[in-house]
Amino acid sequence: MSEDEKPTFDRGSALSIFGSDRKEDLMALLFALVLAFFVYINY
Amino acid sequence: MVYTKKSPALFIIGVIMLAIWFLASNGMLDPYIEHLAGSKKYKYGSELTSIPLYFGIIAAAIGLWQWFGSHKESHWDYYSSTIAGGMFILLIAMLVRWFIAPEIAVISMSMGKIGDTGKYIHKLLGLNYVVLGIVTGIVIVNVFKIPDWAQNGVRLSRLGLKTGVILLGTLYSAAELKNLGGLSIVMIGFFVLGSVGMVLWMGARRNIPNSMGGVLSAGMGVCGVSATVASAPVVQAKSVEIAYTIGTILLWGVGCMFVFPIIGQTLGMSYVQFGAWAGTGILNSAQVAGAALAYQPDGIETLKVAEIFNITRVLVLPIIVLWLAMWYVKREEHATSVNVGEVIFAKFPLFVLGFILLFALSTTGIFAPANHYKGKYFGNTVEQGFKESKLLKDEQIALLQSEADKVQRVDRKAALQRLLENRKIMSIDDDTAIRGLINAKVMSKKANKIMKKAHKAVRHTAKKIKAFRKWITWLFAFGLVGLGMQITIGSMKQAGGQPAVIGGVVGLTKAVLSLVVVLMLVSETI
Repeated sequence: MSEDEKPTFDRGSALSIFGSDRKEDLMALLFALVLAFFVYINY
Repeated sequence: MVYTKKSPALFIIGVIMLAIWFLASNGMLDPYIEHLAGSKKYKYGSELTSIPLYFGIIAAAIGLWQWFGSHKESHWDYYSSTIAGGMFILLIAMLVRWFIAPEIAVISMSMGKIGDTGKYIHKLLGLNYVVLGIVTGIVIVNVFKIPDWAQNGVRLSRLGLKTGVILLGTLYSAAELKNLGGLSIVMIGFFVLGSVGMVLWMGARRNIPNSMGGVLSAGMGVCGVSATVASAPVVQAKSVEIAYTIGTILLWGVGCMFVFPIIGQTLGMSYVQFGAWAGTGILNSAQVAGAALAYQPDGIETLKVAEIFNITRVLVLPIIVLWLAMWYVKREEHATSVNVGEVIFAKFPLFVLGFILLFALSTTGIFAPANHYKGKYFGNTVEQGFKESKLLKDEQIALLQSEADKVQRVDRKAALQRLLENRKIMSIDDDTAIRGLINAKVMSKKANKIMKKAHKAVRHTAKKIKAFRKWITWLFAFGLVGLGMQITIGSMKQAGGQPAVIGGVVGLTKAVLSLVVVLMLVSETI
């Protein structure tokens, strides 16, 4: 998403620290699964 | 490049969080909390004595290392440099949710209700922690600027929102989805295809380039930024056209995020109605969540309905990409054809699949019995959480028996009979029938009280669902404060000229028509 990029961020874009939406989605999925596992174990 | 700033900021944030925890835990905040709560119970007591402790320790420890440690260029340096900004957003979300929003409510209530509306001004304007969090973010970025040490972390907000949407999948039960699914498919199908068609038609009449019209139609019709990015390659959109589209969507979305809840409050819409309207009428996922939470800040029902509509919309994306590909190739003879399958595979937002995955896991019953409804489920065995001590006593049975003749309806009569025979409610259908009987007030107050107890004995709150709700609320609060910090005046100015006119006309038409359809077709409850 080069449109969102500003020169201040030479990694990721102005909206995200990740280089692509796909990477951000994967990280969100990973976090969600970790949180789901945490809730599953602790509650 | 070394990203980590040698700054005391993160350590100070940690100390502030620990101070909040310390003051709250030792009762030193009690007078202020009493002032904020007024005559009601303060809702955030348990949060105040736990959340700032955990995050305060993390922030203070990492803050010390960032302040005094030596940092070298690396992936770790890049990703750990986001922690300061992330904690900055979190601290603002905490302050707004626990203190600023309740304080504004106190001030608003002291001013009395507004005219004929019968509502306080903070309710009418939706000045809750969600809206105030976003506004605080907007003020910080436009008035004070984001400090250098927080710049990187502010870009975590979308990650928080996406994680929240994926986790939302755990909250749905098959029963809720069955009721909402059909409605959302019909509404979204109509409005998505309608908006795409309208933008393409207006674009042709106003002579904007096909690539601009194509990318704008996907953005206005489907789900904002993701749809814009996904459709850009198939219509060979230029960077500036993508930027215009995103600017238009964000400008429109930000306006909707603030205006929708006010209209909803004025019209007295139910949570389901408002969720359906926001999920259909607002263009971008983040703003759908913002408006839904702004409408119902202390519950998640509106957000759940809005997100099901939003996700149904994203699922239409492949169809729209295919349509635009065919439309564009037909109109532009020189256009090189693009492999639509590859584009969909490369650009389809994975977090939507994550939501479906978590929903699929939830339906297996690993988080709560699969028949749970809004986090509550039916269970009349010990394994399901029923306590033998809750079985009806002889005298209670006798009282209900003596009044059984008053019941006329066959299903209620049968359900009551089974309750009398087994001393507990035997099925979810019986539970519904008994609740109907209580509401009908056919029997005496004493008998109703006994039946209410029998109902409560078989209804259990799923602890895991409750925990998920808390996590989701905080992920959205975090994401939306960060979202506010990304709404700069410059990004607003990107929307201008023809795209803004077309976007405005189509967006307004969609918002008004979807409001009318929702008010006419969507019932008060799920």
